[in-house]
Amino acid sequence: MRNTVAIMQRELLSLFYSPIGYIVVTGFLLITGVLVMDSFGPGKPATLRNVFGFTPYVLTFIVPAIAMRTISEEYRSGTIETLMTAPVSDVQMVIGKYLAALVFYAIMLAGTLVYLILMMIFGSPDMGASLSSYLGLLLVGVAFTAFGVFASSLTRNQIVAWIVGAVPLILFVWFAGFIVDRTEGWVRDAFQRVNVVRHLDQFNRGLVTLEGVVFFVGAAALFLFLTTKVVESHRWR
Amino acid sequence: MIEVRNLAKHYGNVRAVDNVSFTIQEGEIVGFLGPNGAGKTTTLRVLTCYQPATSGSAKVAGHDVFTESMAVRREVGYLPESVPLYPEMRVREYLHFRGKLRGLDRPRRNVAIARVSERCWLGDVINRPISQLSKGFRQRVGLADALLHNPRVLIMDEPTIGLDPAQIRETRSLIRELAQQHTVLLSSHILPEVEVTCGRIIIIHRGKIVASGTPAELRQRISAGSQLIAELKGPEAEVTAGIRKLDGVKDVHSEPADGWTRVTVSARHDLREAIYKLSAEKGWPLRELRRDVATLEDFFVKIVAGAHQSEG
Repeated sequence: MRNTVAIMQRELLSLFYSPIGYIVVTGFLLITGVLVMDSFGPGKPATLRNVFGFTPYVLTFIVPAIAMRTISEEYRSGTIETLMTAPVSDVQMVIGKYLAALVFYAIMLAGTLVYLILMMIFGSPDMGASLSSYLGLLLVGVAFTAFGVFASSLTRNQIVAWIVGAVPLILFVWFAGFIVDRTEGWVRDAFQRVNVVRHLDQFNRGLVTLEGVVFFVGAAALFLFLTTKVVESHRWR
Repeated sequence: MIEVRNLAKHYGNVRAVDNVSFTIQEGEIVGFLGPNGAGKTTTLRVLTCYQPATSGSAKVAGHDVFTESMAVRREVGYLPESVPLYPEMRVREYLHFRGKLRGLDRPRRNVAIARVSERCWLGDVINRPISQLSKGFRQRVGLADALLHNPRVLIMDEPTIGLDPAQIRETRSLIRELAQQHTVLLSSHILPEVEVTCGRIIIIHRGKIVASGTPAELRQRISAGSQLIAELKGPEAEVTAGIRKLDGVKDVHSEPADGWTRVTVSARHDLREAIYKLSAEKGWPLRELRRDVATLEDFFVKIVAGAHQSEG
């Protein structure tokens, strides 16, 4: 347990030290800032739903950028060797790094609270829906970060890790509607179950569904498990 | 302290480590010597639990490296060849991080860091980011990390590679000091290194152990004694016969050298005084008398070449 915390602290320090972290956060806040402008107009309903609706599309490439260096950098610099010969289990290492990336994401997300506060000043947004929207975005982060860490464990090159993390997420999220429209029967049902956008829509409406929570947390668990296995397999090469 | 039995590590068809067995007692400094690609790093990686072996067994401090991996890691301090560090961290931060991983709480960490930074001469750079350090200092940080938890066993892969002569000397004396309190296993392909620091040498080539013993023993083996070279002025046959009669002579080889006789004598002990006395007694002027002590380098080259020959 203490090992996990130690690794998380170190990784978090690294994330804040690296310029990439700041570029990513700035990029994200700029994009959401631009989107938010649209919601602030005379006579418009006090809701950030449009922004929250679009944010997961943006997160598909932002989150992998946060997670990309977590494991790939250890491979590249060789520090994986000192980590794997210390009395630290592979699971502790993966979870520690994952939590660091997740905390970084949460801090970045918290930056958007400014818009909510502004909205509260100029109107009266539905607090329940807003809160559940944030919960939804947090859960999206939980799942996407796990996938980003998984991608990071597959290569020693950060850029490749980012691409391997972002492309599947982009395909999954951006083209979800496309695929759903063109399939039917059980395939369509199956796809709807793992449709990130659909789950998030419900959160945006104020519906915290068990299905949604299970989906995001379950996806995170799956990818973290796979990451641990990939990391372990490095010993056998 | 370290027991290795029939250890093997294969990468596909390549046998990086091929049926290696050896034992290292507590308090020894043992050098693993071999050309590049011999299997030194692979063996060390198995002992430090970085990689599992293909077959065979290894025990460190009484724990099996495969089934009791965590226990082994707690007893071992490892310095890999590449000395991997986090460039963005300061030395002190890095040592705190590693201390946490070793299970040391804050007060114990502070004490340990003070101790290792003194031992490894890190005082001046303790607050500097690692990216600003020279190779020599980075090596010391790596060594400090390995020493933090005062491990019973220290395993170092090429500890002096890339250092300048002054740093090499410092590191060597540091290693000798460390051996007083830890069991040390280091690997190197630099012979003088190993000759000077290690009490015992294991020579490994192409994954197999080809020789093992103290530096003196190994030197003995190559020529079983020293070689003496002398040039005396006297008839070749008589000079040769005279020398052959000396006590302890194993073999005499002679050749004429513009009027003098040049003899190469292999003997069980130092016969220089005896030869001098012989030359005085017989009235043969003596113009050269020296002893060629076989170096480990000769031994190394011979062994490696011999291994080559026997293979193909």
